[in-house]
Amino acid sequence: MSNFVELNNVHFSHGERSIYEGLSLTVPKGKTVAVMGPSGIGKTTLLRLIGGQLKPSSGSIKVADVEVPQLARKPLYELRKRMSMLFQSGALFTDMSVYDNVAFPLREHTNLSERLIRSIVIMKLEAVGLRGARHLMPAELSGGMARRAALARAIALDPDLIMYDEPFAGQDPISMGVIVKLIKSLNDSLGLTSIVVTHDVDEVLSIADYAYIIADKRVVAEGEPQALLKDDTALVKQFLHGEADGPVAFHYSDDDFASDLLGGQR
Amino acid sequence: MIEQLRRVGHTSLNQVAGIGYALAMLLSAIIGKPNPRKSFPLFIKQMYVVGVLSLLIIIVSGLFIGMVLGLQGYTILVDYGAEQSLGPMVALSLLRELGPVVTALLFAGRAGSALTAEIGLMKATEQLSSLEMMAVDPLRRVVAPRFWAGFISMPLLALIFSAVGIYGGYLVGSGWLGVDEGAFWSVMQSSVDWYDDLLNGIIKSIVFAFVVTWIALYKGYRAVPTSAGISTATTSTVVTASLAVLGLDFILTALMFGG
Amino acid sequence: MESRKTQIWVGLFVVLGVLALLFIALRAASGSAATSGETYKLYAKFDNIGSLKVRSPVKVGGVVVGRVSNITLTGEYYEPTVEMEISADYDQFSETSSLSVLTSGLLGEQYLGLQPGFIDDTVGMLEDGDTISDTKSALVLEQLIGQFLFSQGND
Repeated sequence: MSNFVELNNVHFSHGERSIYEGLSLTVPKGKTVAVMGPSGIGKTTLLRLIGGQLKPSSGSIKVADVEVPQLARKPLYELRKRMSMLFQSGALFTDMSVYDNVAFPLREHTNLSERLIRSIVIMKLEAVGLRGARHLMPAELSGGMARRAALARAIALDPDLIMYDEPFAGQDPISMGVIVKLIKSLNDSLGLTSIVVTHDVDEVLSIADYAYIIADKRVVAEGEPQALLKDDTALVKQFLHGEADGPVAFHYSDDDFASDLLGGQR
Repeated sequence: MIEQLRRVGHTSLNQVAGIGYALAMLLSAIIGKPNPRKSFPLFIKQMYVVGVLSLLIIIVSGLFIGMVLGLQGYTILVDYGAEQSLGPMVALSLLRELGPVVTALLFAGRAGSALTAEIGLMKATEQLSSLEMMAVDPLRRVVAPRFWAGFISMPLLALIFSAVGIYGGYLVGSGWLGVDEGAFWSVMQSSVDWYDDLLNGIIKSIVFAFVVTWIALYKGYRAVPTSAGISTATTSTVVTASLAVLGLDFILTALMFGG
Repeated sequence: MESRKTQIWVGLFVVLGVLALLFIALRAASGSAATSGETYKLYAKFDNIGSLKVRSPVKVGGVVVGRVSNITLTGEYYEPTVEMEISADYDQFSETSSLSVLTSGLLGEQYLGLQPGFIDDTVGMLEDGDTISDTKSALVLEQLIGQFLFSQGND
């Protein structure tokens, strides 16, 4: 089976802060891969690296057998037409209705007639259950609806790869369930490759084919969901079962507590 | 001592880098082949937002400033028996200075701050990133139409401001204070020059339009994508743009009328 | 339709801008002949130019025909020399024309009054780069008063 996305020994730093040191992961074609990890380890950064919005300081990032960081502007934009990204906030264009938002990528990248665009948009909105909300503006949607509308926009061009950035964050249990079901069914029916970046362990493990856990600037554990759940490495257990203290320290690193107290002003 | 020197160096390097970024942003936004079918409607929409929505404040302020000029000018000129020079006084101050400068300041406050806030908000809500991921260049899609709209509408607004102001001065001077109507216009006409006054005023407002729109777009595009960041960027747009306009006005005036 | 309304407004805005330009250009301003179009240069030497400045007008019978373009001191004795740009529409001044520094009104600006000379076969016309020799300097108030007192004393 071929890999759609391959990251090999990627190093990346944001200003002087190093984010990844030797990150490697692969996403097989047609599979759903979960990338999990504690907050603030740059999971969104990972998606931006794959999308070519950020460039790594070293290492290789391949999407569809193309080396992304080395692409010039034009081929990069061509490649991006084959992938899409669901942002955490939905990132719907606030000055357009839901209908126009979904129609936007079609109008930008195809020369289809308005009638054909209309049929496609209606189909995509039906798929996410928002056909009745097409005339609403993004400001009138609830958080869950906005994310579903954004999902409809993300699949408008029938991409090969969808990257979900924290799709479950801040959702009530019902819309969380809806989105889990949507990701699953889209993946199965359209044959998409999906990368789901999240820290909502239970939801994502129920739909993922394979999962990575990132901590400490690289992949610390990987495997099929069932295998991972049985893993008894301290860090994996801490993360998957939500224990407060463990290898990932509860405290932001600093000098020793006692010496800090005694040291007074530094 | 060395530390202070280092800080000066650091700050100036940052400033230069900022100007470089801004220039690079502008160039990549406006250079390149536009697609008329797609970009023209965007441009028209921005002309509406930037230009038409600024019309009211420009017309009202122009009228009042012209009327005040008429009133103040008259009270001074009448002492020398030179109230016939009211026309040129009003027209020259509007065309050379007040028209371009006040329009640019009002524009920075009305349209510039709105541009910064809008783009900053698009950045904060990941709309710009989302465009990029959809293989649409946000510089061309978002920044370019706004730049051209600002660049074209501000000189038009400045002309409207001056015309309304002259009319306001005429209303007060001729209608209320009794300066002879014929003398008002003919003395004005004989001392206001197409090249010296009108053209130089238009050149000024074109320069201001460029600078104010550029600053507003850059501040929005580089805003820290949080609510605090956007409000800082908006304030900074108004302050920076106003200072730039006043500073440039001095330089341009010295170049045009100083020699 | 939303975009139609927008288009109409933008159209109105542009028309308003153009109307403002026309209003200013036709009603409030005028192009003086000497600053637009072709010009030619004349020179003149004075003993004293008073407060004449670059861009002061050159008038014939009150009509502006050109402007002062440069003022320098030339020659061994540092005489003030005035360079003028005269509109090419008025290129038939004879060599006998005279030039004087005049004042508009009691407190007004100083300008150059050009008095066209007579024309017959013996005199040529002024051409680009020629110098007008018949000049009258500015009246300086202090000198006038001095002369007046001096002539009083002689009586």
